[in-house]
Amino acid sequence: MIVLLALAVLGTLGLGAVLVVAMDGRIAQLAGQFARQRIETEAPDRLNRDLAPVWYLALAAAGLSVVPFAPGHALLDSPVGIVIWGTCEALTIVTVFLHGWAPNAPFPLIGAYRYVAIALPVMLPSMFVLIAAALPAESLSLLAIVESQREIWNVARQPLGLPLFAIVVLTLTLRGPMDFADAADIATGTSADESGSARALWEVARAAMLVSASALAATVFFGGPLGPALPGPVWLWIKTAALVAAFAWLGRRIARTTPSRMLTILWVVLLPLSFLHLAISGVIAL
Amino acid sequence: MTDLLVTLLAAFTVWTGWRVFRVDSMVRASFSLMLSFIAVGGIGVLLSAPYIGVATVFMMAVEMMVMAIFMVMFMMNPAGLNPMSMVHQHRFSIGAGVVAALGLGAAVLLSSPPSNPVLSDADVVAELGHELLGPSMLIFETAGVTLLATMVGAVILSSRQGRFGNADEGSRPPGLSPDGEPAGRKPDNGGEGHHHHGGHG
Repeated sequence: MIVLLALAVLGTLGLGAVLVVAMDGRIAQLAGQFARQRIETEAPDRLNRDLAPVWYLALAAAGLSVVPFAPGHALLDSPVGIVIWGTCEALTIVTVFLHGWAPNAPFPLIGAYRYVAIALPVMLPSMFVLIAAALPAESLSLLAIVESQREIWNVARQPLGLPLFAIVVLTLTLRGPMDFADAADIATGTSADESGSARALWEVARAAMLVSASALAATVFFGGPLGPALPGPVWLWIKTAALVAAFAWLGRRIARTTPSRMLTILWVVLLPLSFLHLAISGVIAL
Repeated sequence: MTDLLVTLLAAFTVWTGWRVFRVDSMVRASFSLMLSFIAVGGIGVLLSAPYIGVATVFMMAVEMMVMAIFMVMFMMNPAGLNPMSMVHQHRFSIGAGVVAALGLGAAVLLSSPPSNPVLSDADVVAELGHELLGPSMLIFETAGVTLLATMVGAVILSSRQGRFGNADEGSRPPGLSPDGEPAGRKPDNGGEGHHHHGGHG
């Protein structure tokens, strides 16, 4: 069973990442990166520069490992599964920062600092949304959260949860309105001085993180593997694929604003909204 | 197996803790400390405290990220990549280190901790929750409100806007060369500069 679940996690992550890259229309671009020479910057932090894409991919895998692929079966069956996911989110910020800091070059560094300023306040709505999802289940275990959605999905009884979590997903995957790390306005930011296989791996890790975060959103808001007729993993894959497409569409449709204005939006609008969300979810759960 | 893992994690904790003082950059020091705390969190998980262990890793990841940025900001070490020493006040710190090591070592050797193994079917996370919001509620909430007040205070102190106008009003960036022209935008010399906005609250 454990071998099956490990295969499911790795297969979902690998195939999902390839499909995400294909959806973004960047297969040729990424494949071309492998043929390219690597850029060397002056006095980089080699350890962190080389490890950042690996950490990013590892965090996507660790996050997906707590997601149940069938009711009652997750690779990492932890009583605090949702806290483990939150830890992966927090370490992702560190990873993106190190990815921009390590090359010792201006644009990557600007991307790194900009991203941290935006991503740290995003952690707060993320935590409130995840805690709210744990309330009806009366447990931090993702298996229990899936079980609590047998009658009604969390997306219906916690309507603010999914929109707030969408912002978290876009932040974790450096996409669209929340892409303050690798955006075009600072010459692709943390990736500006990177090319070759390391750059390709970084893009693959971004795609893998989108798969992982979408699978978690499917589990927390859409009942994960629950569904009629089809087996659990198939339902999870269907829901994850739909959410991947939805998050990617959102990322393309919404414009990015300046970091300072986004900071105001995050602290003044989204933080009180997530408080409200937690309060409403708490009252309903009682 | 658990003993071996705990030993390895403890060794990793000490090694990364030592690295904090041997590396030459604030960012490297912060994240070495983060690795040290991640290993401590791992030990927590192995000691049947999954929530405390995982939450330690989560909190330390966020905290060390914030700390790295604050240290770079206040330590005049642009970007954290300029080499600089992580140690200072040598005599005092050696003394403090020896006293702390002897004290903690004596505490470990002389005390007899209770032997109270956790039952395998105990719901430790729920028990922790009942403890935190039951008998330990006062401590927990006092610490929580204190931290919240600190955060609000820090945000207000670092805010650009204040009751006496903007914090950077009249400030000039340092020169590009010693005693040189200020970097960045030139301050305007017209009458506009003497006109003060804002109330006298």
